[in-house]
Amino acid sequence: MTIKRLLIAGAALAYLGFLAVLGASYFIGFKQASTWPRTGQEQAIADKDLPKVEKNVLLLQRKMAGLLPRGLYIVIDTAENRLYLKEGDKVVRTAVVSCGSGVVLEEPGGKKRSWVFDTPRGEFSVKSKITNPYWVKPDWAFIEEGEAIPKGMEDRIEGGTLGDYALGFGQGYFIHGTLYTRLLGRNVTHGCVRVGDEDLKYVFKAVSIGSKIYIY
Amino acid sequence: MKRAAAFAVIVAAGLGCLAWGAGADKAALAKKQEGLNAEYGLAKDANFYFVFDVLGRKIELRVRGMVLRTWPLRSMRFWGQPDFSGTVELAKKTALKAPERIVIKPGESEVSAPAPAAKPTATGAATTAADYDLEALELKDMPKRFQLGFDNGLNVTIKAKDAGSGGLGGMLRDAWRWYIDVPLRNLFGSREGKGLAELEIVFEDEKDAQSIYWHFFDGIKGIII
Repeated sequence: MTIKRLLIAGAALAYLGFLAVLGASYFIGFKQASTWPRTGQEQAIADKDLPKVEKNVLLLQRKMAGLLPRGLYIVIDTAENRLYLKEGDKVVRTAVVSCGSGVVLEEPGGKKRSWVFDTPRGEFSVKSKITNPYWVKPDWAFIEEGEAIPKGMEDRIEGGTLGDYALGFGQGYFIHGTLYTRLLGRNVTHGCVRVGDEDLKYVFKAVSIGSKIYIY
Repeated sequence: MKRAAAFAVIVAAGLGCLAWGAGADKAALAKKQEGLNAEYGLAKDANFYFVFDVLGRKIELRVRGMVLRTWPLRSMRFWGQPDFSGTVELAKKTALKAPERIVIKPGESEVSAPAPAAKPTATGAATTAADYDLEALELKDMPKRFQLGFDNGLNVTIKAKDAGSGGLGGMLRDAWRWYIDVPLRNLFGSREGKGLAELEIVFEDEKDAQSIYWHFFDGIKGIII
């Protein structure tokens, strides 16, 4: 009986101790929370420094504005598979596109090369504008199909698959047309950006060499 | 006499308000300068960065000072040291079930058909692009609940409002974590000088949470204001 009472008393003490510690942790937490989010605690500006700070803010704003792209530029959202043709803050045209599938292709056999089919992200610019482009199939296109890699360049050339126009943005990546319009809006490509015919024509005609492309 | 006293009080109050207003303006200017300095430091490079506006309750993805995407927050809660604002870098992105890339090894295993030959999962004439079951890593494959660990010690849990947490068990686990585990870790961490900063952000739309996972790559820098 005594042992039972002692056990109950011990458990009650442990429970009360736990509650006390938890209470203390909530006290600390609420004390910290009372200072969050911190506002109005910025470094005070002395009156004599005020003109200097105002000038600095204007200078920074001008510098920031100078970073913005001039003229028309392209923004591509790889997650939503959307292309936006923009000028300043204004969206001139929106297109449903297809971006990279994210699949990894591994070459069987000795060489063991591998490719990741991602659309590259970052800031690019239009490097080439091609009408009636043809596709020079890289090694991975043959490996993926389980075909032998041809030796001659003529065996790599395929016409018609890239649509009527292509905008090159470096490292072999293009914004181009597609035969598989039903898959627009999905991540299916090997890294290029596929666009429907009408949208591609509009974007192709609107941008010029050097126009910025932002892919995120 | 009473009128003069009342007038004096009103004038004093007016001057007080002006002084307070000037102080507030100066504070706002200082904050603006600080924010612009931090952002220019990131925007002058071509890399993407994020701006997490705590008071504005939104996260923005930016490049060159341009807003590419905005995610409005549904709600958020916080435990720990509040000194986490400033320029940060994403050090670690963790999810219980992180998406994995599909690896194709031609000739070694059964491989899915390439994209053009993708088959619709639904039958019938009116199939849309969304009906095709593709071998690809897409937005829908991203987790709806994950954690972002920043280099300043801030740990952010991102989740969608409807992200399944595993029924009653999951709910109890979440409650234990937030109401018992985190406060205790905060208490003992504070005692040892290792401040804890735990932020939980909930998005209305699950696609918002998933796209944060998609766009926030390891090493992305950002500003918390």
